[in-house]
This record gives sequence, C-alpha cells and structure tokens, in this order.
Amino acid sequence: MKKYLKTALILCAICGAAALLLAVVNSLTAPKIAAYEEEQKQAVLGAVSNGEAIGDFHSVSGVSNITGYYGLGKSSFILMLSTTGYGGEITLAAAYDTNGKLTAAKVLSDSETPGLGKKSEESWYMDKFLGKSSNMPTKKTELSTEDAQAISGASVTFTGISKALLAGSSYVTSVLKGGKN
Amino acid sequence: MNTKELTKGFFKENPTFIIMLGMCPTLGVTTQVVNALGMGAGVLFVLFFSNVLIAALKNVIPNSVRIPCYIVIIASFVTIVEMVLHAFVPSIYDALGVYLPLIVVNCIILGRAEAFANKNTVGDSALDAIGMGLGFTMSLSLIALIREVFGKGTITLFAIGNWNGVITIPGLYEWPVRVVSLAAGALLLMGYLKAFFQWFSENRKAKGAAK
Repeated sequence: MKKYLKTALILCAICGAAALLLAVVNSLTAPKIAAYEEEQKQAVLGAVSNGEAIGDFHSVSGVSNITGYYGLGKSSFILMLSTTGYGGEITLAAAYDTNGKLTAAKVLSDSETPGLGKKSEESWYMDKFLGKSSNMPTKKTELSTEDAQAISGASVTFTGISKALLAGSSYVTSVLKGGKN
Repeated sequence: MNTKELTKGFFKENPTFIIMLGMCPTLGVTTQVVNALGMGAGVLFVLFFSNVLIAALKNVIPNSVRIPCYIVIIASFVTIVEMVLHAFVPSIYDALGVYLPLIVVNCIILGRAEAFANKNTVGDSALDAIGMGLGFTMSLSLIALIREVFGKGTITLFAIGNWNGVITIPGLYEWPVRVVSLAAGALLLMGYLKAFFQWFSENRKAKGAAK
C-alpha cells in the first residue's frame, strides 16, 4: 500500500511540476502569441481589402463555414470562413462583391502538410477561384490541367477551401446582398 | 565524461540508419531540406533537456511508472518549445507547423530515455543526446537533400531577407524524377541508404577484427 502511494505521489509531483512550468511559460508567451495572431489577422484583412476601408465585425452563428463578416467599402464584404482540411481547421478571409463574386482570399491559419496542403497559403493558390461566384470550382475535374496538377496530393485541402468559398459566395448573394452594411 | 557517447550517434549507432528509430518523421518531413533541419533542431533541443532531466531524476522515478513520467517530461519540453517559438520566432514556428507537436511521439527521444538516460550520468546523457540529435539531423538532411534535388530539382533552405531560400538546379528542375519526392521514393531511398550504412559498418567491423 505504502509503495503504491509513494509511486502515485511521485508521478503526481512530476505532473504538477510540469503543469506549473507550462503555466509559467504560457503566461509569458500568451500575450505575445495573441499579439502576433492579431497582427497576422490584420495583415490578411489588409491584403484582401484591396485598400478599401474595413467596417465593423459582425459575428455569424449557425451558418456552416461562416464565422462572421466585415463590411468593405460601400458594398463589398470580407467573410471570415472556417473549413476542414486534411490536418484540421483552416480559417480564411475572403472578399466578395455584392454579386458574390470572389475578389480576394487568403488563408489565415491551417495545420496542413508542408509541400502539399500548405501550398494553399501561397498567393497563386486562390487565383483559380478569383472572379468566380456560384461557378466556383469544387472538384479537380473542373480545373485546368495546370491547376489540377498544382493541387495534386492535397485534394482534401482543395475541397475544403473551395466549399467554404462557395458557401461564402452564396451567403453574400442570399443574405448580405444589397449592401446593408 | 566519455566523448564516445557523443560520436556514436553520428555513425556507429546512427538513430535513423542503424537503430532505425523515428521512421515516421524521417519519411514524412524529408520532402524539403528546410523541414529536415527544423525537425532536427527541434528533436535535438527536446532530446537534450529530456535526457538531462531523466538522468538527473533516475533515482527518484519509480520503475513501474517510468514511461508515464518520461512522456510527461518530453511532452512538457515539446510544448515549451512550441510556445516559445510561436511567441518569439513565429517564422520558424510557421515553417515547422505540424511537425513540432509530433516530436512528442518521436521514438528516438523515448528510446534514448529508456535505453540510456535512465542508466547513465547527467553528463553522459547530455553527450548522448547531442550526438543522437545531430546524427538524426544529419540523416534527415541527407535523405531530404537527395529527395529534393532529384524529386523537385530544388534545395529549400531558410528564407533570409529578400532571398526566398530556394536554390534551383537547372535540368533537374525542368525534368525531376518525381517518384523520389513521393512516399514510394522515400521508402526506396531509405532502403538503399540503410543497405549502404549496413555495408559500411560491417566493413568497419571486419577491418577492426582483422587488426
């Protein structure tokens, strides 16, 4: 009995010390991480806004793929999208005009595989979706040979992103249309 | 302190080619040289601190719960590396991505804790960790270099300033042997390299015996 109690206490002490150490490191790094993430978000918003003024954030709940939106300029929107890739959640910022046409998009965060799904972070990745609305390509067969080759090996990422962008487009045309913001 | 503990990881007991540990990250991350270097550095750091701590605590940790204790120690160091990199060097954190948390389940780290650190002194364990970590980094870089050069015709290193870190090899870039960069190529290459290292070490043993 005494032996088991001792073993349990030692294991507990090691876990406690590890938790304490992690808590200390976390308290030191968390503000910096939050600041870095905010900076990243602002950079992405700036990149997709194309120089237009970004309005207030409106959160959206109960709609799949859409977590919220910002008004952009007079009648455009930046939608914050969330989807599932190969390595977990992917979040994107995507700008649409009133007709639901995609004008810019950028990945905000992801856990995709480097060399495969991670390619979605590169600037050329979104080119195949730009200018599209309800005709957004969601299958590899709908792409040109060159584009299909570029996403080869990362179809799950492509499907996730394209479906989210399509959902964003239909949200703009069905709910936000008319530039209410 | 014994310098043999440091050098054995480079060749004689190379974790990748001789002991065959940590195969998953070896096959998974070696598509680009930069990934191999990043993974190697992460493993080296965690291996060093976990080996030192486990060697220091070897008389305190009860035998029956040693594995959970090692896992807690290793996972804590990996999490610390993750948080510190995310906060202070976000570019490296972004580059390493998903491979960083995967260090927790790298067999080399648990393997060295179990096979070496819990039986040896702190100094020897530190040397063992440095040697094994460097050996792992070198092996990973070698595989990645061959795979990237032949499979893609490029060598990707860390981007510095205006330079994007990619060296393009004319000829191979236009006509790469694509299978080398795919999973099948990784396994094939691993087999050839293992055979080469096996041949080399047998040869050395035979020469040593002849003397």
